[in-house]
Amino acid sequence: MENVLSILFCLTLLYLVVTSRIKTYVSILRMQGVLLSVIMIFPFIDHLSVHILIIPVMSFIIKTIVIPRFIDKIVIELDVKRIVEPSIQPFNFLLLTVASLSAIFVASHVLSGFTPIEPIPFASAFSAMITGIYLIIFRKKLIVHVVGFLILENGIFLFGTSVAAEMPTLVELGAMLDVFVVVFLMGIAINKISSTFAKQDVSVLGRLKD
Amino acid sequence: MTELFFIAGLPLAGVAINYLVKNRLVQFSVSLVIAILHLAVSYAIFTGMVRPEENEFIRYDALSRLFLLVLSHVYFWVVLVSYSYLNRPALVNEEKSKLLYFMMLNLYLFANTLALISNHLGLFWVASEATTLSVAPLVYYYRDEESLEAMWKYLFLVSVGIAFAFIGFLFLSLSASGTVLSGHQLLISSYSHYATHLNPIWLKASFIFVFVGLSTKIGIAPMHPGDIDATSNAPSPAAALMSGSLRGTALLGLLRVYQIMIPTATADFARTIMIIGGMFSLFVAFVFMFKVVNYKRMLAYSSVEHLGLITLGIGTGGIAFVGAMLHVVYNSLTKVVLFLNAGNIHRTYRSRDVTSVWDVLNTMPWTGWLFLFGFFAIIAMPPFGIFFSELLIFQGLMTKPLLLAAVLFFLFFIFVGMSKTVFQMLYTAPPKNHKPLAVEKFDIVHAASFTLLLLLIVLGLFMPAQLYDTVIQISKDFGITL
Repeated sequence: MENVLSILFCLTLLYLVVTSRIKTYVSILRMQGVLLSVIMIFPFIDHLSVHILIIPVMSFIIKTIVIPRFIDKIVIELDVKRIVEPSIQPFNFLLLTVASLSAIFVASHVLSGFTPIEPIPFASAFSAMITGIYLIIFRKKLIVHVVGFLILENGIFLFGTSVAAEMPTLVELGAMLDVFVVVFLMGIAINKISSTFAKQDVSVLGRLKD
Repeated sequence: MTELFFIAGLPLAGVAINYLVKNRLVQFSVSLVIAILHLAVSYAIFTGMVRPEENEFIRYDALSRLFLLVLSHVYFWVVLVSYSYLNRPALVNEEKSKLLYFMMLNLYLFANTLALISNHLGLFWVASEATTLSVAPLVYYYRDEESLEAMWKYLFLVSVGIAFAFIGFLFLSLSASGTVLSGHQLLISSYSHYATHLNPIWLKASFIFVFVGLSTKIGIAPMHPGDIDATSNAPSPAAALMSGSLRGTALLGLLRVYQIMIPTATADFARTIMIIGGMFSLFVAFVFMFKVVNYKRMLAYSSVEHLGLITLGIGTGGIAFVGAMLHVVYNSLTKVVLFLNAGNIHRTYRSRDVTSVWDVLNTMPWTGWLFLFGFFAIIAMPPFGIFFSELLIFQGLMTKPLLLAAVLFFLFFIFVGMSKTVFQMLYTAPPKNHKPLAVEKFDIVHAASFTLLLLLIVLGLFMPAQLYDTVIQISKDFGITL
């Protein structure tokens, strides 16, 4: 079941690559938030307790409700043009992503031969990290960079819950809070950038250099 | 747990108090008291007067004690001068930032302390991300276009970097699967105890990710640009904090992962990577030292140079490792002097451009001379401390003569490039028909800089036994036999 959910998670990434509307980006973030929460609860489905539910519920609240709402709010407030501006042809972008994803899946299959990892969740998590980074590299809008960062974080989150050892509750909560505050600060910064400069994309950030 | 209350609980309370109280004098007094108590307790922990309680998550080994003392030292001087700094006439619209200033400083102290004493890599991650969050509003202090850009770049680059470091930590826990550690928490102490059981492939992958990720925060090339922008646009006290202690906190994270790798066969791999990173940082500093026209950026590149030197020393091992640890201490204190006085110059000339600054020695004698001596200290002129630590690093590099030659080449030209800029600022004749600047008065910044320079000489010439013992203990912890 975990594998199915991970594959679903991977499919959201492909959707992310082909779409070009910021609104869709936000709904993809929501979908991933739900998927992550379910993936987290799944191993404990037989013996649920309040203690186990803290992290999935918090992650649901932050990743599915609070952050997407916040991004929606920025998009509306700043009247960001809803279409993202790619700096690469959409088809090439899809091609690049599919190629990278296939490479990751093959590589993790090979890796699983001699190290104890579960290939599908591992590959899905890594695909999310790579897609997040691609999004940061190949899109010009700053708000899309924030979405890219969140996708990267989602990938790490999936990696942490399904592959690596568990962290203590306090640390996980702290990590989630940190990510939330980072996004919050980035939102404020984008707000300031749009009131200081005419645009909100990377082209305005070229003053500091040697 | 009393000591934990003083070094972490009080700063956290300080955040709350500074949020509620809006009077600047009260904010300053509270922060100063917290800083003094923090310094006193971390000094007591450093000398062994207090035997702090340790548990699964918190540990005070020699490395933590040294870095903790450096943090509270740098922090104390920065807080001490902050009140006079904030009371100067505003340059731009910074009044709003002043309200946040002390709150963010306290958050900075709390987050850094937690990162330095954590024994759990997850806790370290959370705390070091929090340090970024505390610094970002300070970078945006001047609220102009440059500082906005600097804050965005720093926040974004470092957050992505720290995310990479987290992947590295997860790889570390993956390397333990199938061993005694499998299912255990990411505790540094237990991981380094059972290091030989860990899977070397994941260990190497982990080190690469942690190195690349934390480089954004340490300022190791080629991940340094965000750091340079932030340090050069932040107000001087914040820049002093970032150069003096924040880079050290990130370096500690790298050292922790390296510490785990030492008993294994992958240690050589880590050392090679650190040597490459260090050399590349020196190269970048060497190139840009001739290019910079902004003296605060020059100081930021000097940080890249020195952190590169420290990483190189750690990678080289042996006596160079000892030198690198001492270099951490000396570099931090020197950077405080340089950044605080650069801030004075910025205030008077209202420009960070070297060409708009002239004749500092005559117009601002106190600042000018202290800046000059700070410059002597940073280029490793004896009898300042850095001279001795660099000597130890060179001694360790003797076994790799080609590397030593390259390092000396870079350092010499960095010295040339830096002195060109500094002497231009200090000695250029004033332009004709300029408005005379106000005569400079002796300020708390000068008192602090003077004390720090004196301290650097004393530490260099008569090394206190405790410092020596701690550094030797760290070297032993890192498997170095001298």
